[in-house]
Amino acid sequence: MKLLLAALAFAAAALADPVGVNGTWTMTLHAGHDIPTPLVLKQQDTKVTGTIRLPTQTIGQLVEVDLTGEFVDRALTLSGTVENADPPATVKIAGTMKDDGTLEGTLAMHTHGVPWTAERFKERKPSGF
Amino acid sequence: MFLTGRHLSRRTFLQAGAASIALPYLDATMPARVSAAARAQRLICIEVVHGAAGSSAFGRQKHLWAPAQVGRDFDLTPTSLRALEPFRDCLTIVSNTDVDPAEPFTATEIGGDHFRSSAVFLTQAHPRQTEGGDIRAGTSLDQLFARRYGVETPIPSMQLCIERVDGGGGCGYGYSCVYADAISWASPTRPLPMIRDPRVVFDRLFGMARGASSAAGRDRLAEDRSILDGVLASAARLARGLGPADRARLSEYFDNVREIERQIQQIEAHNASGELRELPEAPLGVPDAFGAHVKLLCDLQVLAFRADVTRVFAFKLGRDTSNRTYPDSGCPTPFHNASHHGGREARILEFAKINAYHVGMIAYLLDRLRGMPGPAGSLLDETLVLYGSPMGDPNQHNHKRVPFFCAGRAGDAIPGGLHLQAPNETPLANVMLGILHALGLPDVERFGDSDGVFDLRRTETRG
Repeated sequence: MKLLLAALAFAAAALADPVGVNGTWTMTLHAGHDIPTPLVLKQQDTKVTGTIRLPTQTIGQLVEVDLTGEFVDRALTLSGTVENADPPATVKIAGTMKDDGTLEGTLAMHTHGVPWTAERFKERKPSGF
Repeated sequence: MFLTGRHLSRRTFLQAGAASIALPYLDATMPARVSAAARAQRLICIEVVHGAAGSSAFGRQKHLWAPAQVGRDFDLTPTSLRALEPFRDCLTIVSNTDVDPAEPFTATEIGGDHFRSSAVFLTQAHPRQTEGGDIRAGTSLDQLFARRYGVETPIPSMQLCIERVDGGGGCGYGYSCVYADAISWASPTRPLPMIRDPRVVFDRLFGMARGASSAAGRDRLAEDRSILDGVLASAARLARGLGPADRARLSEYFDNVREIERQIQQIEAHNASGELRELPEAPLGVPDAFGAHVKLLCDLQVLAFRADVTRVFAFKLGRDTSNRTYPDSGCPTPFHNASHHGGREARILEFAKINAYHVGMIAYLLDRLRGMPGPAGSLLDETLVLYGSPMGDPNQHNHKRVPFFCAGRAGDAIPGGLHLQAPNETPLANVMLGILHALGLPDVERFGDSDGVFDLRRTETRG
């Protein structure tokens, strides 16, 4: 019985969010070379919030940017402000979900636009810790 | 000044003051040494960062790392390994393996590849993401070997590097610098510090037997003296009791020690002269030129093997995100920038020049090992040199189809003369486990993320 209820709950969730963007993504910025970065999204109806960690000019240093936006008809739009940036910077992300469930689009900051792709990230637990 | 040991035992040293010069292999010591040293294997583990051009899609198509042919009749000409052609009979190329523990396991680890990969290379374990003292990776292959065989030599193992090490603190993406600095781990929580300064290596091998400070070497420099000065009389007494062949070997050995010492002294004198240095932060004993530095550290490793002071080295050729240039490689682009080739063919070919240049350094090491007499043939016959990177295609920062080969037979442990292509998604850890077994550690059941043993003696060369 418990198994049946769990299956029904899973099916209901799938119907309510058939092509959602909820979860953690490995976003790859194609900026001359490929820069992988985490994109964490939370979707409620069409509204999306989340964070992205962007590399800075100092190798190894990151800046985390809060994002808000929406996901409608497979189209994702997000924007956020880079805190403490000089000059102030806004990140604008636009993308679409492809048939295979991956995302692709463009990230714009200042006057630059960088193409990106993203695929779902599965967390793993290392053994021995 | 005195001669220690009796009847030229295996552990005969010429000592004077703080200096302690072990003897090379001599016929006179052979009966004492043959039981232990003749079967003794030696291991050098060399890590290069930033993967290889041959791990990119275009590079695989053009065979810029692994040759097109598997088995024995492989052609190294198009590959970055072509400098190893004179050593193909003892070369084992293993292609198509992955280093999955270097991949991100959690969201915050995404993008941190440059800051954890080196800790993975010889441990094949996933490092804990921390900038604090709770670091954790795994016990490295060289240390498993040293734990078993290092007890037979005065120094169980040594760790050498070419570029600066940052020491403590965080280096980026929430990772302690130690993960980028150290490739040799005595335990999952104990990384071993790397030595960059050839002077420190030399003094550790020959001059520090009685705990003298490293300043002793610089004192000798100031007075234009040699570490050998103090042992010449006892060496002469020793030589009188040797046959002509042993006398020649002893003389040549002392010449080698003196030559390396002189090189270090010249480098120190140059670097202390006030001339502008390319590496102003580097210790005085470090030559500015990459090739000179690598070769000097290779010479020291060969000399250490010859004297049987240690049988295990871990050697880190570079540091992740290093933008060092290699003028002799034919590629003017700095290392890290060159590795980010953007998938463009011309830039991939340019990056392959750096890969080939690095491999050329290994050819130098192999040549030196082959030129040195060992207890049964040359030192190369007794040694396994393992070379590779924990990264595959650096443009994607992935860890798939990583570059890897080993050279030397370590006795008869590994036949060589083979290109072995692993099945897709084979962990490099399987190959390293196979190496551990071949090196006489069959009781090691697992290593890192191994899920099987890759047999380097296999006759099937593909899959």
